[in-house]
Amino acid sequence: MMQNPSQRIVIPSDPACRKQFPLPWVGSEGSGVRRRTTVATIILCTVMMAAISAGAQQLRVPASAIAGAGFAITTFGSGNGTFYLLGPAGAVKKKIQLGSEVQVDESQARSAGRYTAIVCGDSCSSMNFFVSAAAPAKLSFIVHPSRVPVGKADAISAVAFAFDKYRNLVLTPITVDFRVTLKDAPEVARSEETKDGIAWMRLASTKRGGLADVVASLGSNSDKRIVQQVPSDACNLRIHATRKVDKIEVETDPVKDCSGNAVPDGTIVSFTEMDEDGKSTVDAPLKRGIAKVTMPIRGAGTVSVASGVAIGNEIRIGGGS
Amino acid sequence: MRKQACAVLFALLSFAPAFSAGPLPSVVLNADQIGPRAPIEELTGRNIARDYARAWQALEQALEQDREEPLEGNIVGFANDSFARRIAEQRKSGLHVRIVDHGHKLVAGFYAPNGDAMQLHDSAQLEIQTFDGSKMIQQETIPAHYLVLMTPAADRWVVRLLEEVPGTSAEGQ
Repeated sequence: MMQNPSQRIVIPSDPACRKQFPLPWVGSEGSGVRRRTTVATIILCTVMMAAISAGAQQLRVPASAIAGAGFAITTFGSGNGTFYLLGPAGAVKKKIQLGSEVQVDESQARSAGRYTAIVCGDSCSSMNFFVSAAAPAKLSFIVHPSRVPVGKADAISAVAFAFDKYRNLVLTPITVDFRVTLKDAPEVARSEETKDGIAWMRLASTKRGGLADVVASLGSNSDKRIVQQVPSDACNLRIHATRKVDKIEVETDPVKDCSGNAVPDGTIVSFTEMDEDGKSTVDAPLKRGIAKVTMPIRGAGTVSVASGVAIGNEIRIGGGS
Repeated sequence: MRKQACAVLFALLSFAPAFSAGPLPSVVLNADQIGPRAPIEELTGRNIARDYARAWQALEQALEQDREEPLEGNIVGFANDSFARRIAEQRKSGLHVRIVDHGHKLVAGFYAPNGDAMQLHDSAQLEIQTFDGSKMIQQETIPAHYLVLMTPAADRWVVRLLEEVPGTSAEGQ
């Protein structure tokens, strides 16, 4: 809707005035009563602002400030007053001479967030402003899990939080470089941009077991975590057996996962034997990559093997005599 | 069909902990845009809203009473360090701040793949009264916007970062 220039109303810059008279400040389309009310409001506010400029104190705060950088707050008026500055991690109170400039030391504005400056003389006035994080300087880095089976998709997640040197989260987008290195394996590198201070990635574990270094870098600053990539479940489990009268000796071939990594010693292998007496099962741990057991047998029978979810071959044992 | 996102209204007005001075502020959580771990479990959503409300209640108590104790177990890490410093300086200067909390609208953004960190945007309506001794020197009602980082602890989610930002992110979401 077009606005009649003759009825245009200037919005007072003094927020106290707006707060005190929360009436429509632009009201060309209003009723006559509303226009009269608005005009009355302008007069009242003009008087009030004139009073402020004549004697009451005001202050001017920085439009923007950076954490850890000092700044000045200008006060207006004359006489003695009290200055307050409340921020996320501080509360300052000091006596001042109104009309002077108050220097805020860098140590008093190291936290990002909203600051409220208040100046009191005969009356008080306040203004808010924001301090934003300084340049990125530190990373907080989380990697999960610390042990992961080899060859598993999306098994490792890495999350990096970007902070400035005062531990404020840096909200402007910055690039974090992730690197995953494993001895005798090609390096995996990826760069991610932070969003609201966070960069993350997910990646598959490699097919080789061993200690993988996961590093996040932000400029010259980097942080490292170690992920142990352990062999996965046994794969292609195979056994062979030798009969000795009423016993059989059963032994596995070296037990490896599907990527060829030796399954760690201590992993339990289960041998199951069925003969004329029925079924019996013996568990044995891997020792030097091999599990072996001696089981009694009567007549002919079968022996099978399993480890975790992997099932191996089954062998038939003759009756013997 | 399981809903992809969880919207939880949590307004505990009657059974606040025995130590508290007043009711928990209202917290509404919207997790429609959460990721990369999604969706959020319903119980997790309820706990986040409840524990964020507790954190604010603790912060409001701490700022009004100039005591750090209410923060313990609710606000930890960097955020705890910052607020503890603020409270110590308030106490030294004879200042205290009363916050009349008109509620929080939380929008969950980042949820770590393994579920051990969640970033949220809070749009709050706060009435802030600042006192020097018993004299009120400032009063204002503001829409406040916070970037929040919460992590799970033994029996609750705790606020690890609470950084007020100029109003943008959660509005309109």
